[in-house]
Amino acid sequence: MRPILLSGHERALTQIKFNPDGDLLFSVSKDQNICVWFSHNGERLGTYKGHQGAIWTVDVDHTSTFIASGSADNTIKLWEVKTGKCLKTWEFPTAVKRVEFNEDSTQLLGVTEKRMGHLGTIVVLNIIPDVNAEQSDEKELTIVCDESKATVAGWSYLNKYIIAGHEDGSVSQYDAKTGEQLDNFPVHELGMQVTDLQWSPDRTYFITASKDKTAKLIAARDLEVLKTYPADTPLNSAAITPKKDYVLLGGGQAAMDVTTTSARQGKFEARFYHKIFEDEIGRVRGHFGPLNTVAADPTGKSYASGGEDGYVRIHHFDKGYFDFLYEVERERQNQNRL
Amino acid sequence: MSNKQRDWADDDDLDETTTTELPPPQTMQNKDGTKTTVTWRYNDQGQKVKTTRRIRLVTHREVVDPRVAERKTWAKFGLSEKDGAGPQMDTTSVGENIIFRLSTNWRKDTKEEGKDAGATAMKEKLKDKTVKCRICNGEHFTARCPYKDTMAPVGAEGAAGDPAAGMGDEPAAAGGAGAGKKGSYVPPALRGSGAGAGEKMGGKYGERDDLATLRVTNVSEMAEESELRDMFERFGRVTRVFLAKDRETGMAKGFAFISFADRGDAVKACSKMDGYGFKHLILRVEFAKKAA
Repeated sequence: MRPILLSGHERALTQIKFNPDGDLLFSVSKDQNICVWFSHNGERLGTYKGHQGAIWTVDVDHTSTFIASGSADNTIKLWEVKTGKCLKTWEFPTAVKRVEFNEDSTQLLGVTEKRMGHLGTIVVLNIIPDVNAEQSDEKELTIVCDESKATVAGWSYLNKYIIAGHEDGSVSQYDAKTGEQLDNFPVHELGMQVTDLQWSPDRTYFITASKDKTAKLIAARDLEVLKTYPADTPLNSAAITPKKDYVLLGGGQAAMDVTTTSARQGKFEARFYHKIFEDEIGRVRGHFGPLNTVAADPTGKSYASGGEDGYVRIHHFDKGYFDFLYEVERERQNQNRL
Repeated sequence: MSNKQRDWADDDDLDETTTTELPPPQTMQNKDGTKTTVTWRYNDQGQKVKTTRRIRLVTHREVVDPRVAERKTWAKFGLSEKDGAGPQMDTTSVGENIIFRLSTNWRKDTKEEGKDAGATAMKEKLKDKTVKCRICNGEHFTARCPYKDTMAPVGAEGAAGDPAAGMGDEPAAAGGAGAGKKGSYVPPALRGSGAGAGEKMGGKYGERDDLATLRVTNVSEMAEESELRDMFERFGRVTRVFLAKDRETGMAKGFAFISFADRGDAVKACSKMDGYGFKHLILRVEFAKKAA
């Protein structure tokens, strides 16, 4: 497996995202550019310029026509993927930490930071799926998180719920139409923030990563914890790999803690766990800083990771990855063949 | 890098020679189906840089979605606007090859590490313990006890009671290595199958493994590990298949190792598969010799 190194950013990566066809990879970092890359060879298609602060988050719609980005300059921007043109800017009182399109890309949610007397909120914006249309300034919905601010959020299956992960380690479920809080569970250890939330392909369950060194697979319908993946380091990101039943975790000692902890190297690795058996089955090293974000290619052929070191690494899996089976799985396969 | 070695005292006007035209790019066909291209360019310091690339062209047909195909034709924009076709050297590079093999043993390996930590903790605990004789409770090894022949041990627990006390006695255990005299140095390789035995490289595949491992030679270079596994799984549970591959071309080198869980299966497989025709070649199967 030869990784492709993308060095288009000058500062730490904050989020990377594949489009649904898996051919484009969007990356954002604390420098002020969004980059888009062809995932098969690492060629840079272009950059999106316009933000005035660190960019925290990016998401692409299901047709790969638009991307949305949220930044520390207190704006969400909507861009045309093909040309790099900024189509719309929404202003907020505080920084935007997470954006996500809903399943049919008619709405966009944004998570705003709690700061300067403002409470953390989750806002929902209507999107007109036309490049030439004038997008509305109106907010469709505003959910105020008065207990603990939301750090991540996403849309569940059929746009039924908005699921949010909070700073205190809890996960909550909101009605996506009314914004009413339906449920809230302390899934992770108290006070250990949820750092990432990524969906399964059908959006019926999701994986959360947390600073409490675990990642959890949770059902969207009732927030039941299905699986737990313990790691030995705080986690920044987690993804579910399509095609094979694995999950992918990324983390590492936060940059500010490195000098105060053991000098032992090697926590800056992507970890693969078996989704069902919850066993760690492999690691991929390469970054020389903590992994801030990982993403799995929706076609299942590759994955990418972005690190504090400013690099994105795209890994195309070898045959061995697809052939790997547990003894029980292999036996079942042999039985079926007979 | 091939700019001429220049002395500092040389005249500066020699500089002009560096701006002469570059040799044309060369392409050579290699015997193993690869191509070598040599190109020249000037770097920022005006030095001539020779780039030699060995390229292996493999035609790989892939059917993609029309949407994906259309996106490949898009014009570049933003900071990449002036880039040519294909990946650019300043933003994209290829990393070192990573050996990424999934295995269920990950957890076990980390546990073993934990065990080592346990051993050091035990050592720490025993650090300030003194030697105690099992026969008379005196401060010497049991074997050196003056009452050795006349008294029976105090407790019946034996060595399990106090590991520190067990160190000097039981010459039979240490003597198994032919050390003869007590307390003489026994090289690690000759020590009994104690805790130290697993400490060679690749310790995971210990001696147990060697007994049921077959060496398969004259394997076709198109062979795959999974094919070998399928072939040998007929005889019993295969714990490991290793097919040596060339690092550059990815082709098999022509030999493989197959480990069975059970030696009986290995014997059976060895007799049945020796001389078996596989992909235009006749396999030779024998028991792997232990590495020296």
